[in-house]
Amino acid sequence: MFFKITPTSGQSLYLQLMQQIRHAVENGALRDGDQLPGIRTLAQELVVSPNTIAKAYSELEHEGLLELRQGSGAFISVNRRARSLSNHIQAASRSVTDLVEQLRERNFHDEEIRRMFEAALLHQPETVRKR
Amino acid sequence: MLWYKAWLETRSRFLISLIGMVALCLVFVLYGDRSPAYEVSSDYYNYVLFACHQILVMMWTLAVTLTMMGGLLREKATGSSSFTLALPVSRVRLMMVRIGTGLIQAFLLAIVPCVAMFSVNSIFGKTHSVSQAAYYLVLLLGGGLLFFAMAVLVSSVIGGEYTAPVVSFGAVIVTAVALSSVQLRRYSPWEFMTGLKYLNRQTNLLSFPIPWLQAAIYMLVAGLLLALSVIAVQRREF
Amino acid sequence: MTNELVIQTDRLGKSYGRVEALKELNLSIRPHCITAFLGLNGAGKSTTIKILLGMMLPSSGNGTILGRRISDPIESVRIRTKIAYVSENKRLYDYMTVDQMIRFTSAFYPDWRPSEEQKLLRQFELPLDRKVKSLSKGMRTKLGLLMAFARRPELLILDEPSEGLDPVGIEELLEILVARCSEGTTVFFSSHQIAEVERIADQICILHAGRLVLDSSVDDLRQSYRRIDLVFPSIPAEHDFRIEGIEDVRTRGHQMTVLASRNAEAVVARAHDFQATSIDITPVALRDVFLQKVKGN
Repeated sequence: MFFKITPTSGQSLYLQLMQQIRHAVENGALRDGDQLPGIRTLAQELVVSPNTIAKAYSELEHEGLLELRQGSGAFISVNRRARSLSNHIQAASRSVTDLVEQLRERNFHDEEIRRMFEAALLHQPETVRKR
Repeated sequence: MLWYKAWLETRSRFLISLIGMVALCLVFVLYGDRSPAYEVSSDYYNYVLFACHQILVMMWTLAVTLTMMGGLLREKATGSSSFTLALPVSRVRLMMVRIGTGLIQAFLLAIVPCVAMFSVNSIFGKTHSVSQAAYYLVLLLGGGLLFFAMAVLVSSVIGGEYTAPVVSFGAVIVTAVALSSVQLRRYSPWEFMTGLKYLNRQTNLLSFPIPWLQAAIYMLVAGLLLALSVIAVQRREF
Repeated sequence: MTNELVIQTDRLGKSYGRVEALKELNLSIRPHCITAFLGLNGAGKSTTIKILLGMMLPSSGNGTILGRRISDPIESVRIRTKIAYVSENKRLYDYMTVDQMIRFTSAFYPDWRPSEEQKLLRQFELPLDRKVKSLSKGMRTKLGLLMAFARRPELLILDEPSEGLDPVGIEELLEILVARCSEGTTVFFSSHQIAEVERIADQICILHAGRLVLDSSVDDLRQSYRRIDLVFPSIPAEHDFRIEGIEDVRTRGHQMTVLASRNAEAVVARAHDFQATSIDITPVALRDVFLQKVKGN
């Protein structure tokens, strides 16, 4: 399993890692029961702080995608809740992909599209900012 | 390991000084009778002891000033003070080891040439008396340790790679000169070390008793200067 | 796992005559984290580190490392048994060989690990019988790092550790730092290399003119700092956009650019109030955060 972290992209490193692990589960690169690398091993391989890895694993466990077993490590555990969540995410993901394709057909560059999404996300006075 | 480091730092200077001083003694023993100052009537070996001692005193003081070149202030100039100060040892301990090494070297620089001279003389059959040799040692160390302490103090307050020994030696000269007048001569450690005032011109022998009190006073002052050095280093900002 | 701060300073100050090198510095370095200490040359980073190590006394304030007071000479010695330090100038004893340096240094630390020493000697390719004075700067740096890493200290303090290293050396250094942090060592390092900091730091402290102007987790910075580029049909006054959390506002013609450390939503809302025709939001690189903090004042 190969991960790639881009420190300059402006996105928190632990979020990048979480996305990549989720993506790997969605497209089958990681399956239920697979063991993820240990925190120290992955930290050294990616050359990022072990706290980044720990935070990503911890958040994913909270979401139900991972199981952290004391002494053994992190294991993919796509439980039923997470599976349905994953379908839910996949549907929404398809909507976003469709919209992005439409915008590309209208000759918008990817950077412009990303900025528009960010602006839209921020301009939601009713939305409570999640931590 | 601090002793090992102090030894590595000073061993070249120490060994060169020691060899130089021993060589000087041997030269004197073997060729002293060619010196114009020698009068045939007086005892040869006592004369050699006296004349050699005069130069040994100078060499010893110079050697000791050079071997005490070092310490944290010098390390600051050469760049390694950050490393030394980060070690889990107190500055007091660093100073103690440096002073201890220096004292051992100072004693060796006094005793070894003396023993060398004695040994070579005994090969020729005739020697000066042991008590005379001991007397000279007391004079050398009794007065000399004051200059040793001065060198330590200077190296604890004056930085730079080579500045401290120059200033130390300057201080030795200033002391010797300042106390060279007739009234002050009796307080001069330099005069004390050379032993001129205890010398009997006819016999070339030093007159007993050994001036223990004056030696003790010099040692006390030396101790004071060493204590000041430790305090100076303790307070210094690096 | 203790939550006690590894390094804590309380209004630490240092003056040289009229010059105030440090002003009311309050550091709170958490355990098991990698904290980067950034600042321009002369900002006071090395002064801070020297005071922490007991090389100089503060003019005011106090501090502790691992619970022990930094200004007390005896406690300072105890602190130094538990921490490892690599200085900025990387100078060691010129007259010793690599082997002698290692023998000498290892004697002071009961937590020395011979297996790590061997591993690092091989990895760094250091010649054992070469004298320090004939080592290149890079090799001297590596030797200094080896002597810090061949131990199990609770805290690593490194002053510009990557200076003098080539890219491969830097990569090795970062990997080792990350490995040490995994073992529980707290890492506190000062650096000019923003790229390294962006990768491995959990927390960032920026020192400017003796004051701590930023003390934040890297994640918080990435999540809250935003640059907002706006275009208006008729440009509003800059001070209408000086809301809380805004670091910098600049206008040029119909364009305005706002740097926000937080509260970007408020800026967007305000922009809508003024009928902005274009709102662009981009994340801010750490370099720009740093430059704004040290030049913006």
